[in-house]
Amino acid sequence: MLQRFAQAYGIEYPMLSDVGSKVIREFGILNTNIPADHPMLYGIPFPGDYLISPDGVVRDKLFLSNYEHRPSASQISMRNGADAKANSVELTTDVLSATISLSTDRCFPGQEVGVGLVVRIKPDWHVYGEPLPKSYQSTAVQFEGPLVDEFSFEMPPAKSMLLKAVNETLPVYEGEIRATGKLGIKWSPPIPAKFLEPLGPPIEPGLHHLEGTFRFQACSDQLCQPPQTVRFKLPLKIEKGIPAPPKKSG
Amino acid sequence: MDATTKASILHEMIRRMGAGGANITTSDWLDFVQAQNDDYKTGPAIGEKVPQFALADQNGQTRTLNDLMGTNGLLLVFSRSADW
Repeated sequence: MLQRFAQAYGIEYPMLSDVGSKVIREFGILNTNIPADHPMLYGIPFPGDYLISPDGVVRDKLFLSNYEHRPSASQISMRNGADAKANSVELTTDVLSATISLSTDRCFPGQEVGVGLVVRIKPDWHVYGEPLPKSYQSTAVQFEGPLVDEFSFEMPPAKSMLLKAVNETLPVYEGEIRATGKLGIKWSPPIPAKFLEPLGPPIEPGLHHLEGTFRFQACSDQLCQPPQTVRFKLPLKIEKGIPAPPKKSG
Repeated sequence: MDATTKASILHEMIRRMGAGGANITTSDWLDFVQAQNDDYKTGPAIGEKVPQFALADQNGQTRTLNDLMGTNGLLLVFSRSADW
């Protein structure tokens, strides 16, 4: 059966058949919510990805709380150091440049993709981390719009700096900073069903644009620029939920 | 959700789908999803060794962790089914 599946979808990587869910059990991820006498679901795992290093140790893993949502493989590469050049946008001001990237330029509804941020700040200037007094703007990326389900982002630890001009010690970033985040794309039913309609309009397959904002405030030793909100767009091709298998030849 | 409730939701949904799906409500669907997601487990922690395995691939060849391992590592994906 796996052979037919692999041929139908042009899959070349190895797909393993875990008959009786032996390995699923050994990994400890058998879905134990499902009763043993269930005709369809018994034996399935909680779905997820492991990045395993050559010595057999888990280096990273991605499991989502809802089986309808799945991590994307590109996301795991990005979290583990790969620079995502494929899908990025560059924002430049007079004192800094920022590259915001997605781990991929295409995905299925319900997948989680990686988000990367690299900010290069001119010498003698800094931007802010958290926590901050209300009068300052910290550094943050946000996504919005109908494609966005959940978004989380982690800035690296900031360093404490005494800002002599205002005599305050605040968390700041200088030089080059890198951060990664996770963006969950809304799930959309692969097959329309009346009982799923109240959950929201389906996402049409095709090219979409993710909208987001990059907020920051840049200051030097002597002066502060006003807080800025720069809007950006990143293309994302949403694939059809159940792709049609390629036509058989011959 | 307790085990009996989950079992009954899971059986009932498949029964209704098998009968054509006419009586399924949005709330039934959400319960069905929640029953499966409940208390999800994620297996070996970061830093832990994974269990060894030997399983047949789609061409009938037995593959182990060592066979599949690349120079930089292996991405192992567990999916629920290739059947449905």
